[in-house]
Amino acid sequence: MLNPLITTARESLRYKGSGQVLWLLHRISGLGVVIFLGTHIFGMSMAAFNPPLHDAMLAVYKTPLFSIGEIALAACLVFHAVNGTRIAILELRPSLWEKQQVATRWSIIITLILLAPTIIIMAYKSISYYATHGLR
Amino acid sequence: MASTTITPGHTVRKVRPIPQTRNRFELGMWLFMRYSGLALVFLALSHFWMQHVLIGTHEIEFAGTQLRWGITGQPVTVEQVIWRAYYAVMLVLAVAHGINGVRQVTYDYFGHRPAVYKGLMSVIVVIAVLISLGGMAALFMGAAAGGGEAALR
Ligand code: HEM
Ligand code: HEM
Repeated sequence: MLNPLITTARESLRYKGSGQVLWLLHRISGLGVVIFLGTHIFGMSMAAFNPPLHDAMLAVYKTPLFSIGEIALAACLVFHAVNGTRIAILELRPSLWEKQQVATRWSIIITLILLAPTIIIMAYKSISYYATHGLR
Repeated sequence: MASTTITPGHTVRKVRPIPQTRNRFELGMWLFMRYSGLALVFLALSHFWMQHVLIGTHEIEFAGTQLRWGITGQPVTVEQVIWRAYYAVMLVLAVAHGINGVRQVTYDYFGHRPAVYKGLMSVIVVIAVLISLGGMAALFMGAAAGGGEAALR
């Protein structure tokens, strides 16, 4: 059961290079953001229909567990955005296909450049909040 | 397009191939994924950075939403109309992009079982439409007066 899986994973890595991994990450990150988005739109629309419920959702956003999840959300969103831009540009301008490898490398670099300060600021804000308000 | 050859040693294209032009729905969706994605780079990232890096998740308050969306029953300012339009466009594009993405994933794993695929997609689409209608209605109404902050503490 597991052996063919491992073989597939190893062989696709060897034959097709990092593109396969990026494809899987693009899929996982997209699904991650969709799941958040569903609950998020519901929660925020409660600002109009049910303010106490809206506040309860906002209170969840301020818990340590969510603060950690949020960093994963930031990673998903930024990676999906940069990699998606690469896909869109390369496919809408097929003459650029020869630049695939360079584009792949740059989408990883740009993701990291955008993500590093975002995560540092988010983590700093969260930690200083919990330091003054305590863990609830 | 078809004339582009892939040199050996280069990474092969791993993304969804350009669909047959005969299937106009799939071609439309294929294009939509790319253009809505490009628009979402600005919309979703600006929103995320505004809420986290500028405001900070722990500083988000009901009053902020009241400020941007306006308050139900009260006159709406020009800025509030712009904020509502920004959220409305993001809502429609993100939900449509996300649903079509989920459809592609569902098809990849359940496409060989049409009953399961159709059943799953019906449930997902109904839930998504209901949530989006709620989100849209909230944007038209604005945030409730008063606010629930006091109700919790
Ligand atoms: C921020 C800018 C975004 C860009 C540039 C972007 C770009 C793309 C592109 C080009 C695809 C098609 C990939 C393919 O056909 O192989 C795609 C797929 C997808 N996107 Fe996005 N997207 C963005 C935001 C979002 C958001 C906000 C969500 C969630 C609501 C999302 C969820 C998905 C999902 C679930 C897929 C399907 C993945 C798959 O088929 O493996 N995307 N995205
Ligand atoms: C944890 C991160 C996020 C936080 C803290 C957050 C916060 C908020 C807040 C406070 C609002 C209410 C409007 C306002 O006060 O300006 C809102 C609305 C909205 N957000 Fe987010 N947001 C986050 C991530 C996202 C992401 C990743 C997306 C989409 C890809 C998104 C899409 C939306 C949409 C569509 C609305 C309008 C909802 C409606 O009309 O009911 N948000 N968000």
